[in-house]
Amino acid sequence: MATDQSADVVVVGTGVVGCLIAERALDAGLSVLMLEAGPRVDRSRIVQNYRKLPPILRGHWDAPYPPEPWAPHLETRGAKEQEEYLQLEGPNARAYLQGYVRYAGGATWHWAGLSWRITPEDMRLKSLYGVGRDWPFGYDVIEPYYTRAEYAMGVCGPSDPALQWPANTKRSKPYPMGPIPFGPGERRFTEVAAKLGMSNLQAPQARNSGAAYDGRPACSGTNNCFPVCPLAAKYDAASALPKIEAKGGKILVNAVVYRIEAGEKNAIEAVHYFDPVKRSQRVTGSIFVIACNGIETPKLLLLSKDERNPNGVANSSDQVGRNMMDQPKLTAMLELSEPLWTGVGPVQSSSIVATSQGDFRSRYAGAMFRMENAARSALGAAAALKKGLVGKALDAEIRRLSACTAQLTVEHEILPSPGNRLTLSDKRDWLGINKPNIYYDVGDYVRQSAKEYSVPRLKELAAGLGATSFQLSPEFLNSDHIMGGCIMGADAATSVVDPDCRAHDHHNLFLPGGGAMPSGTALNSTLSMAALALKAADAVVDQLRHG
Amino acid sequence: MIRDDCPTVFALDRREILAGGLAFVGGLGLATPPAGSAAEATAWSGESAARFMELSSLLIQHHLNEGVGRRIGAAMSALNPSLAEQVTELLAIARKKNARIVEDFFPDLPEGPLKETALAIVSAWYLGVVTDAPDAEVFAYAHALMYQPTKDVMTIPSYAISPPNAWSAEAPRLSNMPEF
Repeated sequence: MATDQSADVVVVGTGVVGCLIAERALDAGLSVLMLEAGPRVDRSRIVQNYRKLPPILRGHWDAPYPPEPWAPHLETRGAKEQEEYLQLEGPNARAYLQGYVRYAGGATWHWAGLSWRITPEDMRLKSLYGVGRDWPFGYDVIEPYYTRAEYAMGVCGPSDPALQWPANTKRSKPYPMGPIPFGPGERRFTEVAAKLGMSNLQAPQARNSGAAYDGRPACSGTNNCFPVCPLAAKYDAASALPKIEAKGGKILVNAVVYRIEAGEKNAIEAVHYFDPVKRSQRVTGSIFVIACNGIETPKLLLLSKDERNPNGVANSSDQVGRNMMDQPKLTAMLELSEPLWTGVGPVQSSSIVATSQGDFRSRYAGAMFRMENAARSALGAAAALKKGLVGKALDAEIRRLSACTAQLTVEHEILPSPGNRLTLSDKRDWLGINKPNIYYDVGDYVRQSAKEYSVPRLKELAAGLGATSFQLSPEFLNSDHIMGGCIMGADAATSVVDPDCRAHDHHNLFLPGGGAMPSGTALNSTLSMAALALKAADAVVDQLRHG
Repeated sequence: MIRDDCPTVFALDRREILAGGLAFVGGLGLATPPAGSAAEATAWSGESAARFMELSSLLIQHHLNEGVGRRIGAAMSALNPSLAEQVTELLAIARKKNARIVEDFFPDLPEGPLKETALAIVSAWYLGVVTDAPDAEVFAYAHALMYQPTKDVMTIPSYAISPPNAWSAEAPRLSNMPEF
């Protein structure tokens, strides 16, 4: 059994990656201790927090998750708050304003649930298009882990291989559930896209479709996947925690790991954490998994420098904190001549993804297009009230502005670039720990795509929907898909982790998740993070059984 | 099993946000009047609350919850000491026109504080907040009127719209305004 001080496997972080590894290790008979920087909060409290937000804050996904002082994360209630934690610089600093939750359960609390696989081509950018990096293994290696992740998280999706992604590509098993049906908006968007030669696919999503799955209820279309699913119909790691405890796993919350301790032969011997009264505690183990997300993990590695590891733990390559990626996003606000009617079904339930592929990727980025399906009633009402209307005219204008407006989104593939770098800021948080500082430039690869490819296509989609106005976001925005800071590769000189997400420098340290991904692609990263987690989990179990 | 409650708001930010909120209220005609008229302002009483509901029912021809109305009225009067007088004046204009619905008397409201207060009352019932600012108290969520003109189609976020996978992809006509 794990104690508060020791376990076979010590997992730092309780998001999807940490939870999948913890459960796999427990199933293999290993003891597991999980350390979470933030608090553990009931779902009902978060739902209440959300409903008590004034309308102006209901689109701020972080707002129902006020952080504890010892575990700060991005807050966007005001401009000053927004600048408090993440220190951002560079030409596209705004595009790295990443939202994540330092609560037990991590960022899965407010993810949309979209669970795309990447394609064989996405893993061979360097070989095929001469840009970016190749993965150190092929699609055939990751495919079984994708399937396991889909079953572990409960991913619904279409059964027709032509409508799956990647299309007509071998899968070891079908999706565990059929797809979620469209509402009127997504159906209309799909028809419009088809006329333009673009296929808007029903998204695979970690949401229970039509039936309960794994102890969680079926989705009832509460249209609130972010900032919180009130039912737990969408997979979130918080719903996995009781299962981990039932299997004997131990979860310590409000434990802020600030140092990884390396010892003899550069093996990791312990992690050190602060509790909420700033007492330092030491936890030992046989294997350590750092899964705090793509920003907190490299930050912790850099914080842990010592005599043997003067650039930080796992950083002999000097790649820790470099290659920071996301999908740089642009949004277009449309007013339409005809009603579209979003707000029926999940907030995101489909995407145009084939546009992420093509030989053009030697010159500019692939892109993914989506119509946001969140209900627009609150936005419509606020806009109608500003016009000073009353009575029947007010109600009619609310209905019109809710039904006849839309937000289209395009997310781009960015290349890993060593200049896009996380370092330790001189500014410190409540505990005295350095805040993360990130320099970010989306690069010409993305800018060229926006100019030549993605924005023109976005305009075509808008015109197809009957847009009477098209308002493009003035700069690139964040997508909250944090990748690259612990990049994977076969060569220890140019990468941080090996194909099992094991640190090249430390045989008993694993750094799985988005940070390990060598290419970001234009699609949501969570399922790839989960697949890498399960691959790492197999390696952890194998290593402890066989040495 | 350890459970933590999350903190509500932090004191420093509350002050900043309140200041911002008041500035916004000014835009809706609820700014604190000059000292002289503030001294003459009528206190908010049970009678004021009843008149506030009466006026609300003339401004909005939908079902209005009295409990929500009491809280909105009290909150608005705390920000606008002249509210009780303005409500009385607005009711007088409506009575003069024998108004039964808002369209009967709204065009007669003079531009300025009276009309702005009338619009602020409508806004509060629709948005569920007196000021849509980060620190605002929410008086109604699901019952805020803003969700009602689309309730036949759009989900009120965080409430189920139908049994699992049973929602419709049919787009209704804009002219089919639901009753509420």
